[in-house]
Amino acid sequence: MNARVLAMLVRPSPGQGGLIALPLIAFGVVTTLVLTVIGGAQSFWGWQDEYAPIYQALAAIALALLLVPLMSLGGAAARLAARRRDERLSTLRLLGVTPLGVGIATVAESALLAAAGAIAGVVGYLLISPLIGLIPFRGQALGWQAVLLAPVHVIAVVGGVVVLAVLSAAVGLRRVVISPLGVRMRTTAAGAHWIRFVLGAGAVAVAFGLAKIVPQIAGMVTTIVVVSLLFAAGLAVLNLVGPWALKVSARGWLKRAQVPERLLAARMVLDDPKAAWRQVGGISMASFMAVFAGTGVSLIGVMDSAGAEATDLALARDMRTGLIITLVASFLMVAASVGVNQASAILDARELHRSLHHLGVPLQTVDRARTRAIMAPLLLTSIGSALCAGILVFPLLGIALIVAPVSLLTITLVVAVGIAVVWVSTRATTPVLSRSFRAA
Amino acid sequence: MNSPVLVAHALTKSYGATRALAGVDLAIARGESVAIMGASGSGKTTLLHVLAGIITPDSGSVTFHPSAGGAIELTGMGESARSRLRRERLGFVFQQGLLIPELTAVENVALASMINGVKRADAVQHAASWLGALGLAGMEDRRIGELSGGQVQRVAIARAQATGAELVFADEPTGALDSHTSREVMDALLWSTTGQGRTLVVVTHDRDVAARCSRTIAVRDGVVVSTAVDA
Repeated sequence: MNARVLAMLVRPSPGQGGLIALPLIAFGVVTTLVLTVIGGAQSFWGWQDEYAPIYQALAAIALALLLVPLMSLGGAAARLAARRRDERLSTLRLLGVTPLGVGIATVAESALLAAAGAIAGVVGYLLISPLIGLIPFRGQALGWQAVLLAPVHVIAVVGGVVVLAVLSAAVGLRRVVISPLGVRMRTTAAGAHWIRFVLGAGAVAVAFGLAKIVPQIAGMVTTIVVVSLLFAAGLAVLNLVGPWALKVSARGWLKRAQVPERLLAARMVLDDPKAAWRQVGGISMASFMAVFAGTGVSLIGVMDSAGAEATDLALARDMRTGLIITLVASFLMVAASVGVNQASAILDARELHRSLHHLGVPLQTVDRARTRAIMAPLLLTSIGSALCAGILVFPLLGIALIVAPVSLLTITLVVAVGIAVVWVSTRATTPVLSRSFRAA
Repeated sequence: MNSPVLVAHALTKSYGATRALAGVDLAIARGESVAIMGASGSGKTTLLHVLAGIITPDSGSVTFHPSAGGAIELTGMGESARSRLRRERLGFVFQQGLLIPELTAVENVALASMINGVKRADAVQHAASWLGALGLAGMEDRRIGELSGGQVQRVAIARAQATGAELVFADEPTGALDSHTSREVMDALLWSTTGQGRTLVVVTHDRDVAARCSRTIAVRDGVVVSTAVDA
């Protein structure tokens, strides 16, 4: 394939403005959030006093926590960019373009979209970084200069986003079997084996045991390290058990479904529980974090009144600020991820939606079904994750509930806000569904 | 000729400068099978969409005469009323089935009735009986991806019948099938429609398919240029 043909294939066709805008926005949001998070964390790395390692370690933990929802969002953006090519790919195959040629065209387009989106994301980052600089740590604002990344780091992030898009497009091409007639073949539903539950339950039992034993026999630093590891283990268990739990629950929903939207929603989840989990897994992790944060915030409040050292109090306040920022960033990423995934799913099913409109199926039935297919797993996983985290920090949570009931309120509020944000994100794609439905 | 089930008068429809329908008059009798033929861009799919109330013409009228109740003028109805008419009283079969991939065969068929308010158990039972009648007994719980092209079309035919539609529209129902499977699908389509006293309107490129219908209408440049009664 020569450069002229490639340019022709990559060029957007008339009426595809919306299809290009969605992945562009998604890549832009990913880039802005990555730069903002790294920029915020960078501000701690310039400190060199005795408390600096603690701040840096906490910043690293926050970055690690944000990695999963961030990767989920990045993957969703990349899949969206790759999927919109399906129809044209089929045509190219019919015209005799080799699979390699089709691959090059797809990867090139994804890279271009990602690069354009990432550049827009850099602009977004520059616009919001003054606000990030106003966040107080150690009694004063971080400052704009402190959160601004060096150009080489910005370029590295833009390059990383483009590489992610290229890899995802390449993997997507391998996964999606496109026949020359453009029919995406889906045979059996993807599963989620019960062994996940067994492994997850075992991990929770071990973690619970460690959480009870370690504080009694180890010092403060070891306890913090072990609790951090338990936190990471808890997140891993959630990822392991989540798809299986969704599958088992969706089977129950399917049995009980008496109206079309409930039947459709249950089947959508059962069709690919892992994909359903990917969509809500981020908020589940945020919910898991919220229990930790809520517990921490309430205990910090108790510490305030106990007359602790001023530097310790400052550290405690900053930990609270950091936890809240991490939660907010998680929610933003999950909301963006759900929006992008939904837009992607709608674009995938355009032909089907058109046929449903011809059959006279009300738009509301499909809209309610897809909303339910997100919200039901979301409610299940967010509550389940909160309970899971509650078990892991049971002694601390118990103390917090007794000495500061505000802890429970914080947890409930954070989870409720997260759920509301995802719901809003889902509703925001209703116009896309409506256009897909009514297209002639 | 039996009493008409659908009457179209002076239909016109344009897309920008392109005239898709340029004054079509048509009457379809109850119980007949009508093939609409024409080259690509002749206006045959637009005609089918206007006759089925999917889109409205720029001018002219389409009147549906159900077996029970009074005549219904489609062109004067709003979008939601036409949608309701389509899901309750008309049936559709598309070129590639276009069934919901997440649902099983029987659920795809039952869904149409469930949307109309039928209880799930009753809808599933009725759907299973239609699948059995169309040679798909034992395949009720298969996902659409597990069925062959011909089987998918028979599920689509069952879906079109499950609500008791007395008028079925099919848009290139055999377009993606080989000749042998195409014959089987047409057998199923004709048996389930005209074979039950219902009416079938098929848009097709395939002369063999048209030859199986009781009447063929040729469309060119948005007008009906000929009508032939087949054997």
